Amino acid sequence: MEIGLNHYLVLSTILFSIGLVGVMRRKNLLMLFFATEILLNSVNIAFAAISHYYGDLTGQMFAFFVIAIAASEVAVGLGLLVVWHKRHNAIDLDLMSTMKG
Amino acid sequence: MEILLYTALFSPLVGSLFAALFGASPKTLITGIVTSALLGVSLIASTILLVHVITTGQFVQVELMTWMATGDLYIPFGFIVDQISVTMMMVVTLVSTVVHVYAIGYMDHDKGFNRFFSWLSAFVFSMMILVMSDNFAGLFIGWEGVGLCSWGLIGFWYHKESATWAANEAFIMNRIADLGMLIGIFLVYWNTGTLQYHEAFAVMPDLDNATLTWMGIFLFIGAMGKSAQFPLHTWLADAMEGPTPVSALIHAATMVTAGVYLVVRSNELYTLIPNVGLFIASLGAFVAIFAASMALVNRDIKRVIAYSTLSQLGYMFAAAGLGAYWVALFHLMAHAFFKALLFLGGGNVMHAMNSELDPFKMGGLGKTMKGTMILMTLASVALAGIFPLAGFFSKDLILEVAFVDHHFIIYGVLLLTAGLTAFYSFRIIALIFHGEDRHTSLGFHPHEAYKFMLIAMTPLLILAIIAGSFKSTYFEYVTMLLPGTEYHVHSAATYWIMTIGTQLFVILSIAFAYKKYMCKDIKVPDGTSAMENSFKYKLLINQYYIPHFYNEYLVKSYRALSTIFWKQVDQKIIDASVDGIANIFYKTGKNTRTMQSGNLSTMLKWMVAGTVVLLSLAVVFGLAVRHSDEIKTILSGLGV
Amino acid sequence: MLDNILSILIFFPALAAIFGFAVHKDSMRAYGVSVSFIEFTLALMLWFSFDSNVSGMQFMEQLPLVPAFGINYILGVDGISLFIVILAAFFTMIGIASLSDTKDVKNMIITLLFLQMTMVGVFVALDAIVFYVFWELSLVPMLYLIGAWGGPLRIYASVKFFLYTFTGSLVMLVGMLFMAYFYFQATGVWSFAILDWYRLILPETFQLWLFAAFFFGFAIKVPMFPFHTWLPYAHGQAPTIGSVILAAILLKMGTYAFIRFSLPMFPDAAVFFMFPIAIIAIIMIVYTAMVAYAQEDVKQVVAYSSVSHMGVIILGTFALNVEGITGSIFLMIAHGVVSGALFLLVGVIYDRRHTKMMSEFGGLASVMPRFATIFGIMMMASVGLPLTINFVGEFLSLLGFYQQSHILTLLAGIAIIVGAIYMLAAYKKMFFGEVTNEKNRNLPDVNKRELIALVPLVIITVWLGIYPKPLLGPINNSVESVVQLMHDKAITEEAKARIPNLIEGIEITKTTDTEAQ
Repeated sequence: MEIGLNHYLVLSTILFSIGLVGVMRRKNLLMLFFATEILLNSVNIAFAAISHYYGDLTGQMFAFFVIAIAASEVAVGLGLLVVWHKRHNAIDLDLMSTMKG
Repeated sequence: MEILLYTALFSPLVGSLFAALFGASPKTLITGIVTSALLGVSLIASTILLVHVITTGQFVQVELMTWMATGDLYIPFGFIVDQISVTMMMVVTLVSTVVHVYAIGYMDHDKGFNRFFSWLSAFVFSMMILVMSDNFAGLFIGWEGVGLCSWGLIGFWYHKESATWAANEAFIMNRIADLGMLIGIFLVYWNTGTLQYHEAFAVMPDLDNATLTWMGIFLFIGAMGKSAQFPLHTWLADAMEGPTPVSALIHAATMVTAGVYLVVRSNELYTLIPNVGLFIASLGAFVAIFAASMALVNRDIKRVIAYSTLSQLGYMFAAAGLGAYWVALFHLMAHAFFKALLFLGGGNVMHAMNSELDPFKMGGLGKTMKGTMILMTLASVALAGIFPLAGFFSKDLILEVAFVDHHFIIYGVLLLTAGLTAFYSFRIIALIFHGEDRHTSLGFHPHEAYKFMLIAMTPLLILAIIAGSFKSTYFEYVTMLLPGTEYHVHSAATYWIMTIGTQLFVILSIAFAYKKYMCKDIKVPDGTSAMENSFKYKLLINQYYIPHFYNEYLVKSYRALSTIFWKQVDQKIIDASVDGIANIFYKTGKNTRTMQSGNLSTMLKWMVAGTVVLLSLAVVFGLAVRHSDEIKTILSGLGV
Repeated sequence: MLDNILSILIFFPALAAIFGFAVHKDSMRAYGVSVSFIEFTLALMLWFSFDSNVSGMQFMEQLPLVPAFGINYILGVDGISLFIVILAAFFTMIGIASLSDTKDVKNMIITLLFLQMTMVGVFVALDAIVFYVFWELSLVPMLYLIGAWGGPLRIYASVKFFLYTFTGSLVMLVGMLFMAYFYFQATGVWSFAILDWYRLILPETFQLWLFAAFFFGFAIKVPMFPFHTWLPYAHGQAPTIGSVILAAILLKMGTYAFIRFSLPMFPDAAVFFMFPIAIIAIIMIVYTAMVAYAQEDVKQVVAYSSVSHMGVIILGTFALNVEGITGSIFLMIAHGVVSGALFLLVGVIYDRRHTKMMSEFGGLASVMPRFATIFGIMMMASVGLPLTINFVGEFLSLLGFYQQSHILTLLAGIAIIVGAIYMLAAYKKMFFGEVTNEKNRNLPDVNKRELIALVPLVIITVWLGIYPKPLLGPINNSVESVVQLMHDKAITEEAKARIPNLIEGIEITKTTDTEAQ
């Protein structure tokens, strides 16, 4: 059995769902970042696979963009996280409710 | 001639403005003198114009300037002095000059002396515009102007609740009629394309009858208000709250006759629609007897004279409605003289009695007030229509008109009214001047009015006596413009029987009045006598309960409805629904703000849910677009 | 200078307002008076150099703003807008000159000058977007006036005023965008210029929808029944100067816009909606007059009377003939003068007694005779007595509508009765009778500063009542061209019949053509 586009897409979907559940359920900020990374990378897999399928490099280029942005996002996010941890000595999401409407 | 016309028209205005300059300051005699003098100037100018019109038979017409011009509409300030308007001008300037001079004495002690003369001259100016205008719009200016001045003068003693109430009543009731007038003017404009009298009347014979009828009806509604015809009559009696010179000038001699003037002026229209004319005549006859009946029992001398005015206006409308326009105008003129005289005499009595108006509290005043007694008696004789005074010539003529035109019901009613008129006139004469002295015991010390007031009244007296002799001259010149139908009873015998019969009837009524009210045991009625408790008396003294009806049912319900509109409809329905819509947004915001709990985790959950909803919508719409043809066929199969 | 006079008229007060921040607050009053006086002089110059024989736009200015979408800064005035511009300048001047002692006068004058910019802008803008911008901007200074200097309920009143009118104008904006889109579809060029839109003939259904969208925005502004409830609150809470400007100028925006937009662009829709709108107008006239009669607060009486008079203006506008539209434009100016004066008069008594309840007064005629006289003249003008300014407008409006419907005019004519009822009743309560309240016994009569504002208004009221020709002439010329345009554009048979053709010759040749076919 040859591994085709569908397999990649299924893998990507599974990863995306895992990421989504992570985003919804996790209360630890660090874990939330992991979940976001999973989400982004699942999309990257789909990009790369579809790009290969169509023989068009745009998708793979896009995947690199995503990786770059994810990296910078994590850098900023972790920085904030460290500051937050220094102030409150915790990184629990439920404690961050100052933006209450 | 033009300069005379402008002099006649504008000198009252100058006088009014002059007096207005001193409006807020205490009495300055000069205002009274200047306004009277300027009215004298106006009178002289009118007289010269009258002579001019009589001798040459031509009229003077001028256009001062454009008032309104837009589209096809063109309304100038145009004035005309022709046979009709010059007659009215004479009446207006003459009576108002007399009244002005008289008022200098009458208002002697009043704080608002200057204000009074300002208003009074302004009234004369408006009245002059009314009668001199050569178009309907100008007529309407005067029409509203006299209404305004009447408002200001009825409510002259503005600290009195009854006076201001009467002023507002008069103004509002006139406004109701003015709406009719305005609609009449619109009809004239859209059907004839102009508001100039002679151009409009020239086109009218070509219009269809229905339009003309509506025109006639609406214009007459306007006339009904000013001339206080039923059912808009209640304001006239209440208007007696104003100072007596005002009643003499406005509510007897001039303003109230404006309605008659309008009908006479529009004679070319009303000749085309005899049905409306008959209605006017019938209403006139009805008002004549209706008002006379109320005058029979009233215990307020001014109100009695006011009802008498109303009744005489009925006569004029009867004549005008039957097509005898020149007769109506003649009676208008004669009536103005003797009725103004009567009112001014009443003013003397009022002054003497410290504003007491109940004739039952007077009696025997003839001893102290000889001059006034003679003046008022002669005026009443003229009003009753006894030969050879003015009333005889004009009033008998109206009876003849009704008789000759075979309107015997109208004739009968008017004849009966003539008897009633004689009775109530001499009822108050007898009660005031003759019989026992009842006033001294009530603490009144009457005194005769100033000499110059009596002298000022004499021109009116002379005219009330001799006006009848002008009949043939008047007929000659006025019928150049009005239909000159002569009304002659066919056989001489019938004529003499009618005339002498009427005279006898009237004299008997007078004698009856004297007999009834000269006796010794007249007392001030205290509501105990059998007559006062009879239904008829109560009906009459309460003016057929019409003011009561208006007040209870119209005024009060209007007020109640207004309050309901404000409190219930405007605030509780309209505004509440606006606020309700706004509240929906506020409430939605209030309820959905809990979503923003600030908890990052919950917000992420909402985000995911939103993404899912949007994605599924995208899928659904995408599918719908792709399969739109199939969906259409399925839907059409279902009969949608 | 005359080439750019309209821009100067718009931006001079705004610029002066900005500099006003730097002026010391003691000299602010003099500064405000002089600025508004210069503005008024400029407006008069506009009038004197205005050629009243030309029916079209004059003093046109054009600058591209967003050329790709046909949004241009176009200004111009014709007989319809000229006098409202002058009125706006006049009332700002009068208002600032007669300003009584209020807190924070400096900021109030600055606000007023900004308000003047927006008012003039609305009436001279000939580009829909520019018009819309000024239309919305005018809300902001008014919001401040009511919200900062108003009565106890000022926040509620100002927010209500703002949101209500704002909602309406958003619907209007959508209408404008659609109109521009239709224009683009028809011609292939984007344009928001009103004069371009005049040339576009739309199918009737489009007209109906667009008319409805515009109507919503204008009707709230007028305000027409049942959208009028913001007005009593705004007037009730606004300071005197706010009420004066609101009644005299801001309300006229709605009726002006009807004549500028709705009638010439959608003639068929105007005819289609003529009777429903006339019925609304009649309800406005009679209903609000009755509500006015029930009021206890004299300012509310004047406020509701404004709505009632606006009904007559609407009726005249939808007479769709020269007499009616000319009358309605004249009545806009007349109502501006008279209601502005009445609000000033109410302000006079409010300054003295700090109450507007009529039950608190009574017998003022003997205490303040001059005040009573001026109030009386203005009341009679409001009632519509001939030879006052209001009568000319009311007479022409009703006369015009009489051509369209007899019965409805008869009903609308009730205005002259109910108007007299509430005004006379209010006057009687305040001025007649004995002085019962001790506080009223020694009230000072109107002072010089108040006379400066009131006497010119009295003079205008009487002068234009006797001699309205200087205004009627130019208005008439412009209105004739509007009516002719409407007649030419009309598609439906009914519209052709309802809107008079002023050039008879063309109609005759057309009918002979059809007969020949």
